[in-house]
Amino acid sequence: MKNIAKNIGFALLTAGLLFSCNPLDFDEIQDPNNPSVASVTNNASPEQIQFLITGLESRHRSYVTNISQSWNTFGREVWYLNASDPRFQTDWLGQNGRIPDNSYFGFGSTGGGSWAIPYQAIKQADVLKQSSENTQTITATQKSAVIGFAKTIQGYQFMIPANFVYQNGIRMDVADPLNPGPFVPYAQALDQIKTILDEGFQALESSGTGNFPFKLSSGFNGFNTIASLQQVNRAITARLNAYRKDWPGVLTALNGSFMNLTGDLSRGPAHPYGAAPDIFNPLFYVPNAAINTLIVVHPSVLDDATPGDLRVANKFLKRTNPLTVTSDGRPLVGTHQDARWVNNTAPITFIKNEELILLKAEAHANLDQAGDAVTAINIIRTAAGIGVYTGATTQAALINEILYQRRYSLWAEPWGHRWIDARRYDRLNQIPTSYDGGTIFTQFPHPQAELNWDDYVGN
Amino acid sequence: MSKIYKFLTTVAFMWLSVGWAWAQYTVSGSVSDERTGEPLIGASIILKGTTSGAITDLDGNYTLNLPGTDQRELVVSSIGYLSQTISVSASMSTLNIQLKQDATNLEEVVITGLASSVKRSNLANAVSTVSAKELTGTTTIQTTDGALYGKVAGATIRSNGGAPGGGISIQLRGISSLQGASQPLIIVDGVYINNASQRTGRATVSGAGAASQDDGANRLADINPADIENIEVLKGPSAAAIYGTRANAGVIIITTKRGVEGRTTVSVSQDVGFAEPLRLLGVDNWSEDKINVFFPEARRSAELERFRSAEATGNFIDYEDYFYNNSALLLNTRINISGGSEKTKFFVSGGITSEDGTIKNTGFDRYSIRANIDHKISNNIRLGVSSNYVRSNTERGFTGNQNNSGASIGYSLAYVPNYYDLRRNEDGTYPLNPYFSENPVSVTDNAENSSEVNRFIQAFTLDIDLLKRPNSFLKAQVSGGLDFLQNSSQVYLPEFLQFQKGSANPGDVLVGKQESFNTNFQAALVYNWNLGSVNMNSQAGLVRLDFDNSSLFNRGRGLVPGQRNLQQANVQEINQQFVSKIQEAGIFLQQEANWEDKIIGTLGIRWDKSTLNGDPDNFYAFPRASMAINLTNFDFWNSSVVSQLKPRIAYGETAGPVGFGQTFTPLGGTNIGGLLGSTVATSIGNTAIQPETATELEFGVDAGFFNNRISLEATYYIKNTQNNLQNLTLAPSTGVNSIASNEAELQNKGLELGLSGTIVEKSNFRWFSRILYWQNDIEMTKLGIPLYIAGGFGSGLGTFLYAEGYSPTTIVGTPADPANPGGFTILGDAQPDFNLSFTNSFNIYKGIEFSFLVDWRQGGDNINLTSFLSDSGGTTNGWFGDDNGDGIPNGRQRDPAPYNNAGRWVQDATFVKVREIGLYYTVPKTTISQWFGNSVQNVRVGSSVNNAFLFTKYDGYDPETSTFGAQSIANNVDIAPYPTPRRIFFHLTIDF
Repeated sequence: MKNIAKNIGFALLTAGLLFSCNPLDFDEIQDPNNPSVASVTNNASPEQIQFLITGLESRHRSYVTNISQSWNTFGREVWYLNASDPRFQTDWLGQNGRIPDNSYFGFGSTGGGSWAIPYQAIKQADVLKQSSENTQTITATQKSAVIGFAKTIQGYQFMIPANFVYQNGIRMDVADPLNPGPFVPYAQALDQIKTILDEGFQALESSGTGNFPFKLSSGFNGFNTIASLQQVNRAITARLNAYRKDWPGVLTALNGSFMNLTGDLSRGPAHPYGAAPDIFNPLFYVPNAAINTLIVVHPSVLDDATPGDLRVANKFLKRTNPLTVTSDGRPLVGTHQDARWVNNTAPITFIKNEELILLKAEAHANLDQAGDAVTAINIIRTAAGIGVYTGATTQAALINEILYQRRYSLWAEPWGHRWIDARRYDRLNQIPTSYDGGTIFTQFPHPQAELNWDDYVGN
Repeated sequence: MSKIYKFLTTVAFMWLSVGWAWAQYTVSGSVSDERTGEPLIGASIILKGTTSGAITDLDGNYTLNLPGTDQRELVVSSIGYLSQTISVSASMSTLNIQLKQDATNLEEVVITGLASSVKRSNLANAVSTVSAKELTGTTTIQTTDGALYGKVAGATIRSNGGAPGGGISIQLRGISSLQGASQPLIIVDGVYINNASQRTGRATVSGAGAASQDDGANRLADINPADIENIEVLKGPSAAAIYGTRANAGVIIITTKRGVEGRTTVSVSQDVGFAEPLRLLGVDNWSEDKINVFFPEARRSAELERFRSAEATGNFIDYEDYFYNNSALLLNTRINISGGSEKTKFFVSGGITSEDGTIKNTGFDRYSIRANIDHKISNNIRLGVSSNYVRSNTERGFTGNQNNSGASIGYSLAYVPNYYDLRRNEDGTYPLNPYFSENPVSVTDNAENSSEVNRFIQAFTLDIDLLKRPNSFLKAQVSGGLDFLQNSSQVYLPEFLQFQKGSANPGDVLVGKQESFNTNFQAALVYNWNLGSVNMNSQAGLVRLDFDNSSLFNRGRGLVPGQRNLQQANVQEINQQFVSKIQEAGIFLQQEANWEDKIIGTLGIRWDKSTLNGDPDNFYAFPRASMAINLTNFDFWNSSVVSQLKPRIAYGETAGPVGFGQTFTPLGGTNIGGLLGSTVATSIGNTAIQPETATELEFGVDAGFFNNRISLEATYYIKNTQNNLQNLTLAPSTGVNSIASNEAELQNKGLELGLSGTIVEKSNFRWFSRILYWQNDIEMTKLGIPLYIAGGFGSGLGTFLYAEGYSPTTIVGTPADPANPGGFTILGDAQPDFNLSFTNSFNIYKGIEFSFLVDWRQGGDNINLTSFLSDSGGTTNGWFGDDNGDGIPNGRQRDPAPYNNAGRWVQDATFVKVREIGLYYTVPKTTISQWFGNSVQNVRVGSSVNNAFLFTKYDGYDPETSTFGAQSIANNVDIAPYPTPRRIFFHLTIDF
C-alpha cells in the first residue's frame, strides 16, 4: 500500500511538472534571419525605403557577369575560356552544331542572368514603387523621385530579356507572381518600355530640384541629383529608341541626356564594386595570372583593328603567356586579356558619353544627315587617335563606319553591343566563326520555366 | 531499453512474490549451451503463470523453491537462446537444462511502440535487427552507418566517397522525398540525434558551388560503433508510424550496451591495421605521337621538349600512384567496463579511433567516452541514464568538384601528363602547373580542410510501476534526452599557392562554427491487462521535440603570409549566418492485442504538429494497424518440418518535415558600394504548406523450418508518398522563381526476401548462412507541375527527369529526342535493379571463427564525370588506344556515336563487393587458466579485411560515389572522388 501511494505520488509530481510547462504549446517562430516583404509594403519607414532603393541598385547590377561573358561571346568580342568547364566554349560558341535550347548551358531553365535576373530587378522596382506609394512617412515629392528612379531602372532592365529572346517576345505585365501577362512581340515591348521610361522621366520632373532624396551608391556619383537622374533616363531612352528605329526620338532623347560632345567620353553612371561583403568586379583578372579561366580578346578584334588605335592599346593587354584551352578537340588561344579595370574594385559604367555620341552619329546617318554624322564620328576617331573619317558619306558607308567604331568604343561592355548591332542591321553573318568553328546565334527561345508555367496554367 | 524493462520487471516481480506460500519443494541444477556445453550466466527460470523464479549464477547454477507439491511448468530462457517449457514435480530434485542458440532471433525483443516492445516471433512488421556481433563482430568499421552494408534488407546504403570520417547515405525502401535526402530518423537510447551532413565550406573555397559539394560527413560518424548493443531498423511507415513526422524514410533505433548484474568485467581491445586504395585506374602513357595529336600546334614544341627531357632523365611520375596509393595506419583501442549489483548496473566504455587516410594529410580521429548506468531507486522506480561525450577530428582533404581554384586533387590530376614534375623543389617551393590552375602537390602538402566536433549525448529513462496486480500492471515511462553538437571547421588555402597568387587577394580561409542542440521529451502510460485469454497492452503518451541550430561562417582573403587568423586578412567577410528553431509535439495512442501468441493485432495513431508547417497548430494524424498470425502456435498445427509460419500484414502513415523557412517570404540583405540593400528574395513563402506524407501497406510471411534452424522472411510492400514537397517554379519573368508546393506523389514498390539458417551444426563445426535479396521500383505517379529536368550538370552531361510515369531517378541527356518527355534521350536510372547480400559464418573446432559478407548490387547507373575530366586532359588509361582503328584515339571517341553527348558518361554501376572477411581465434578457457590463472577470462585474436575485393565493369574508383553527398535523386554523380580504402586489421581482445 505504502509503495503504491509513493508511486502514484511520484507520477502526479511528474504530471504536475509536465503541465506547468505544456509540452504541446509552441512559441511563435518568426524568421530569425530576415525581415519579411509584408513589413515594407504597408506604411514603410524612410529607412526601409532607403534599404529597398539600395536593394534595387544591387539587383540592377546582377546581370553584368552573365551578359558580359555570354553575349560578348555570341558577338565574338571575347572568348570566355574556361578549362574547368568546357561547355563555356562548346556551348556558347555553338560548336559541333549546338544551338540554344530552352535550358541552355549558362542560362539554365530560368534564363539565368539574361532573363530571370533582370526580371528580379524589375520586381524589386515594383516592390519599391508599391512601398513608397503605400506609406505616409515620406512626402509626395519624395515619392515621385523614388518612383522616377524605379521606372528608369526598370526601363533599362526590360531591354535585357527583350534582346535575349528578340522576336520571341517578352512578358511586360509581371506584377502578379501567380498571374503573369502574355508574351508581347519585340517591337511592341520596346514601345511599352518607352512608356515606362517616359513615366519615370515625368515622375522625376514633378519631384522638384536638388539632390535625390535618398542615398545612392558611389556608382551614381555625379548623377545623384534629380536633374542628372533625368539625364540618365534620357540616355537610356536614346539607346532604346535606336532599337525602335525612332531616329528623331534618339536625337530628342540625347538632347535631354548627359551627352557632352567635348567632355570625357567615359563619363556615365556605373555599377560600383568592392571587397566583401560587397562583390568584386567580375571582369577583372590579374594581369598575366597563370590561371586557366579568363575572358580573352577575340582574335578577330585584334585582326580587324586600325593600326595605332588607342582603344586597342588601352583596353587590351598582351599576355606574356597566351592561354590555350582545348575543348571537343579544338584549341582556342587567347593572347590578350581585358585591361580596362585597374583593380577588382573598379566600377563598371553601364551607359557612357561615348555611346551617346555614337548614337547621335547613327541617328544622323539614318536620317541622311551625313555632315552631322561625320562630325560625331570624328569626335570618336580623334579621341582614338586614328585621324578623321575620309570614307564615303553614303548612308551604307556611314553605317558601316559607325558599326565598326562601336566594336571598339563599346568593346565587351556589359550589354553585348556587337551581337545586338549586327542583329538589328541584319549582319549576323559578318561575325566571324572561322577562329572557333562555331555558329552565331540569332536569338534564344523562351526559358523552359516560362513554357512550364504556361503549361501549368493550361495556356 | 526494452531489455532492461523486461529484465528489471522480472526482478521486481520476484521481490513482490517473496513469502507467498508455505509448503514448497526445491529444484536445482544448471543451465548450459546445448552445443558447446558452456554454462549460461543470468538465464532465468520462471514458474509459468506466476512471477516467481530464479536466475542462474556465475557458474550457470540455480536453485528454485516451488510452492505446494504439484507438478509445475518452468519457463527457462536466456537472451540469444530459444526458451523451453519443462515440467517439474516434487520428485525431481535436480534439473539440468540445455538451451539451443536462437540463430534466427525469434525470441528477441523488438521495439514496436514508443514505450513497448514485442517478441520477434509475434512481430507483424518486417523489422530488421542488426546485433553487435553482426555490426562489428567481423571487422572494425569506422562509422556506424558504414557497418550496415548487406545486413538490412531494403536498405540501399551508399558511401559518398572514401574520405576518412564517414559520409554515407541510407535509403530505406526507395525514396520518399524529392527535395530532402530521404535519410531515416536516428534515435540513440531514445535521443533524436542530429545526423545532418554539416557544411564545411570547402565547396565555397574551391568554387564548386553549394554546400552539397562540400563532401562533408554526416554526424552519425561520432557514435562509437563498439558501444552499440543492437540496431533496429523500422523500414517504412507501416512500422514507423508511431514516430509520426520525420519517419517517412524510416527509423533506425540504436541501443547501446548496458551493464549486467554480476562480476565486473573489463574488456580491452586493440586493433592495428592499414588501409590502401581498393582500386586504382592507372594513367595513360605519353609519347611524341600522342603529344602531336592531343595538343594544338602552338603548344606542341613546348610539350615535346618537356617530354624529351623527362625521357632523358627517366623522370615519369604516375600521379595517381603518388597521391592515392599510400598505406595509411589505422589504430583502434577500446576499453569496456561492465558490471553491477542487483540495484545498480553500469557500463563504461572508452574508445580511441585514430585512422589516417590514404591521401597524405587526411585522417579521422575519434575519442569517445560513455557511461550507461541503471539504478533501482525503489522497488517500483527504475532510472536509466546514458551519457556519451565524443570528440572527432576529421581532415578530409581536397577532392571532388572545383571551379577555377584547382582545389581538388583528382580534378587537377586529370590534366597533368606524367612527364611533367610537379613535386616540391629542393628550396621548398613548388613548380607552376601549366596544365591546370593549381599544383595539386602543393595543395596536398599545405592546404587544410578540417573539422573538429565536440558532442555530448545524454539520455534518461524513468520507469515507474504505478499498479501491479497478478494479471495486469500499469506503468509510467518518462524519458528524454539531449544531443549537443559543436562543429568548428576550417578550410584554408595558403597565399603562396599558384592559383591564390594569381588572384587579387591571395590566401583564403573559411572558418565555420556550427552548433546544434536537440532535445526530446516523452511521457507515456502503459497498461497491460488480460481480456479472457487475450493479453492487451495499451499505451498513451506525448512527445515533444526541439531542434535549435545556429551557424556562422567567416571568410578572410588576402592573408598575411603564413597567417590564418581572420583579422590578418585584407578582405574580411561574413559568409553566412543562419539560425533555425524548430518545435514539434505529438500525442500517440496504441493498442496491442495478443491472443496466446497465436494472433497478434495492433492499432495505433499519432497526432503531430510542427512549427515548420504553414499552420503550426494543425495536428496531422498518422494511423497504423497490423496483424500477425502464428499458425504454428495453434493446436491444429503439428508439422515437424515447419516450426513457424506467420503471415502478417501491416499498414501505416508517416510524414516528412517541411524545410525550415518555406513559410517565410523574406527580404534578403545584400551589399553594394558599402551600403546594405534589402532585396526581395526569389522564393516566396507558402503559408499553406503541409508536410509530405507516406502511406505504406506491407504484407509478408515469416517461416521457420526444422525447429527454426532455417528461417525464411518474405515481404512485399507498396509505399506511396503524397504532398511531396517540390518547388513550384514560377515564371521567372515575375521576378520570383519559386514557391514551395505540395504537389507530387511517388510510389515505391518492392520485395524483400531473407533466407537464413544453420546449415551444419556439429559440436566442432557450425556453419550459419544468410542470403538477403531486395529490390525497389519507384514511379512518380503525379507531378502536379509541368515536367522538368534538373540535377547533375545539365543535359549535356546527364541530368534527371521529373515526369509522371517515370522514376525521378531516370537519367536523361543529349542527344535531344523530342519524342521523349523533357526532350532528351533516356540514358539510365540511378536506382539499382536489385541488391543481394550473402553472409556466412563458420565456427570451426572450439575457438576458430571465420566469416565473410558479400554484397551484390545489380543495375543502377552513375554519371561518371571523372572519365569526362580525364578524357579532356588526355590522362585516362588507354586514351591513346584506337579500338576501332579509325585514326581517332579512344579518348576522343567514347561510345555511343556520335561521341559528343551525355550517353558517354552514363555508366552501369553494377558491382560485387566482398565487404567483410574475418578470422578469429578464441583461446580456450583451459589454456587461459594455465597461462593467467584467474585474472584473465578471455583472449581473442584475429585478423579481418573491410572492403576486401571489388568486382565491377564500372570505369571509376568506386561505383558507390556521390559528389553531392546524401541526396534522394542526384546521388550518383562521380567527380574525382577520394578513392575508397581497403582496410586490413589485426585484432586482440582481452577480457579480465
